[in-house]
Amino acid sequence: MSTHAQRLAGAAAAVALAFGYAASAAAQEISGSATTTGSPMSANLVPITQPMLDAAGGDAKNWIHPNGSYDQTRYYPGAQINATNVGKLKPAFVFQTAVLESMETAPIVVNGVMFLTTSFNHVYAIDATTGVEYWHYKQKLGPIVTVCCGNNNRGVAVAEGKLYMGTIDAKLVALDAKTGKFLWETQIADPEKGYSETMAPAVVDGKVIIGTNGGEYGIRGFVKAFDANDGKLLWTFYTIPETGHEGVWAVNDATGRDMHRDIAAEKAAFAKDASFFQKLGGGVWMTPAIDKKTRTVFFVVGNPSPDLYGAIRPGDNLYTDSMVAIDLDKGTYKWHSQYIAHDVWDLDAVSAPILTQAKDKSGKMVDVVIHGGKTGHIYVHERNTGTLIRFSQAMVPQENMWVLPTKDGARMLPGANGGVEWSPMAINPKLRMAYAANLHQPMTYHVEEVAYPGGKLWLGGAFKTIPGEEQSGRLVAVNLDTGKVGWSVKTPQPLIGGTLATAGNLVFNGEANGWFKAFDASNGKELWKYNCGAGVNAPAVSYMVGGKQYVAVAAGGNNQIDAKRGNSVFVFAMP
Amino acid sequence: MTKIPLFALAALVAATAAQAQPDAAKMAAVREKAQVCFGCHGPDGNSQSADYPILAGQSWRYIYIELQDFKAGRRTDPQMTPMVANLSRDDMIDLGNFFAAQKQLPIKFAADPAKVDAGRKTSDAVLCPMCHLGGFVGQNEIPRVAGQYPQYIKKQLEDFKARRRTNDAGNMTSVAGTLSDGDIENLSQYIANLY
Repeated sequence: MSTHAQRLAGAAAAVALAFGYAASAAAQEISGSATTTGSPMSANLVPITQPMLDAAGGDAKNWIHPNGSYDQTRYYPGAQINATNVGKLKPAFVFQTAVLESMETAPIVVNGVMFLTTSFNHVYAIDATTGVEYWHYKQKLGPIVTVCCGNNNRGVAVAEGKLYMGTIDAKLVALDAKTGKFLWETQIADPEKGYSETMAPAVVDGKVIIGTNGGEYGIRGFVKAFDANDGKLLWTFYTIPETGHEGVWAVNDATGRDMHRDIAAEKAAFAKDASFFQKLGGGVWMTPAIDKKTRTVFFVVGNPSPDLYGAIRPGDNLYTDSMVAIDLDKGTYKWHSQYIAHDVWDLDAVSAPILTQAKDKSGKMVDVVIHGGKTGHIYVHERNTGTLIRFSQAMVPQENMWVLPTKDGARMLPGANGGVEWSPMAINPKLRMAYAANLHQPMTYHVEEVAYPGGKLWLGGAFKTIPGEEQSGRLVAVNLDTGKVGWSVKTPQPLIGGTLATAGNLVFNGEANGWFKAFDASNGKELWKYNCGAGVNAPAVSYMVGGKQYVAVAAGGNNQIDAKRGNSVFVFAMP
Repeated sequence: MTKIPLFALAALVAATAAQAQPDAAKMAAVREKAQVCFGCHGPDGNSQSADYPILAGQSWRYIYIELQDFKAGRRTDPQMTPMVANLSRDDMIDLGNFFAAQKQLPIKFAADPAKVDAGRKTSDAVLCPMCHLGGFVGQNEIPRVAGQYPQYIKKQLEDFKARRRTNDAGNMTSVAGTLSDGDIENLSQYIANLY
């Protein structure tokens, strides 16, 4: 899973972060779940039907999946705002929430009604053209919340008049979209053991599909499907199989580089004890992609636990650090493809998979599923078998891969946040490009031999940023058919948040310093920018109301890279 | 070894919302349960001795987790280990909430200003506030240390460094590993003086 905040640049920043926490904590002392009503709900709000969800990728009016469609291309089909006129884009309104803490939400927009979430599981329904508030829901959180990297939430799923949200105390909650009233909740897993929810779920054919956080706590990861009507559990796929998680004792990673494993020692340890699968980690905390045609769910699996101390968990640690495909109706295994076997660097697979097409090795266009890795590569898999067709050129500097962590620390690039962190990528199928938000954070990797601490943070060592070494970000366009970098733009701070591509030949991306920018999708030329005053560390969305296109993005900063906190969603349109 | 350990201790089990809020009657019942603790930890958890930590005003989750760890053997102490043997999960939650709700009183302690100043600098350099928060007020599973007995703080840091105390999954060991005896003394004075 992700990675732990704390590779910060200096003590001063840390103190600021700390005080920020204290303040926000005090603000969040909520006595119970509550919905407050602002204005009467818009009469235009309609229940989202399954056909609407299926056709969302071509719907320029609404944004009804966190990543735009089941394919998760984050490619908006409208072109009213485009590369020739984007320079005139202006804020239409700013909506301020009551929660001053990291925002990672992907707003959902239905017929001019926007649903957005904040840290600590608040949900707002607002007018997507004016910011007028319809209702505000605050989840009553249980006494025990265990999160490694902030009290984040990345958004709701919507279907048939209901909203679905995962909570940081590991529940699935259903709300009435029209009123914001609580309908039901289901405890997904035990927060005391390190389980929590930050991802936006997926909803399809009456099922709500959700994974879990907790790879820093010795959980056993899963993806579960719940009945969208009543929250009843339908199936569970464990990302750590009870048997076979040792895999094939892979020597090399997916790109063919030696991982320097001591396979003989691992095999000996495995023969003595293979019972650790219950605590082997493998969180899934970004929304899965869904192929309705083949009834398949695609997701990537996070790091093994503990992150850096591998001797205690011999084997490939399947299906950690892998792309996995399972059956939508039964939750049964179809295939997996592992990027890093026996990961001891927390360079796991996080960013949401995208379903698209790309040329295979023979040049034939085939269905693929792609993933942007913390390693700095974009991986392109044949969709039916998982076969890795290609991996891209490295998007960020790589150095000393795969040196093993040591007591005093071994330097290796990328740092443990990537590459591409959870930030969802976007693609432009016409230009054949994928757009990825990357980090560059030089780090040393330290191992500490520690036993399972009982639901407490369990890194098995530490990642340390290197004082004096510059950190930066890189927005990179990669050709899907060749894996070659088309263009890249360096940013002064590491990038977390994700990208949006549009048919207007644009790419939108936010930065920790508050800049929200639009680029020419074909060459990376900066065409427009606006400073939101707080870190833009959330993925943008676009929609149309009354024949006018809008672009919305949250500016709430980020816990993990300590980007300045805010509490706002900015919405832009042509004047 | 870097002098400024920018470790990713991340314990950012950040401030959770909504801690349990026991009512008055329940608190009275829990006070009965807590009587046995007062013997060493002092009235309402305001310890009178540097050998025993002050519990009044401590994070409830931290107390709960430590009690669990004593029971599970992840942390051992000749006095505490037998005390927790018969505590249920609910007992531990109750005790955590009880002591969290008590007011911490100042200790009698004359700080050495030079050590306090040096301790503050060390604290900033090793990023203590990142988890313990500014003023060492603690959060969630991360304990409040402000105003604790300096001798107790010193002992814990030494125990972490020497791996005599390991129930934190090595996070504090990573921090303490780069601290000299002088650093530990200064930090103890600085933190004890925060009230």
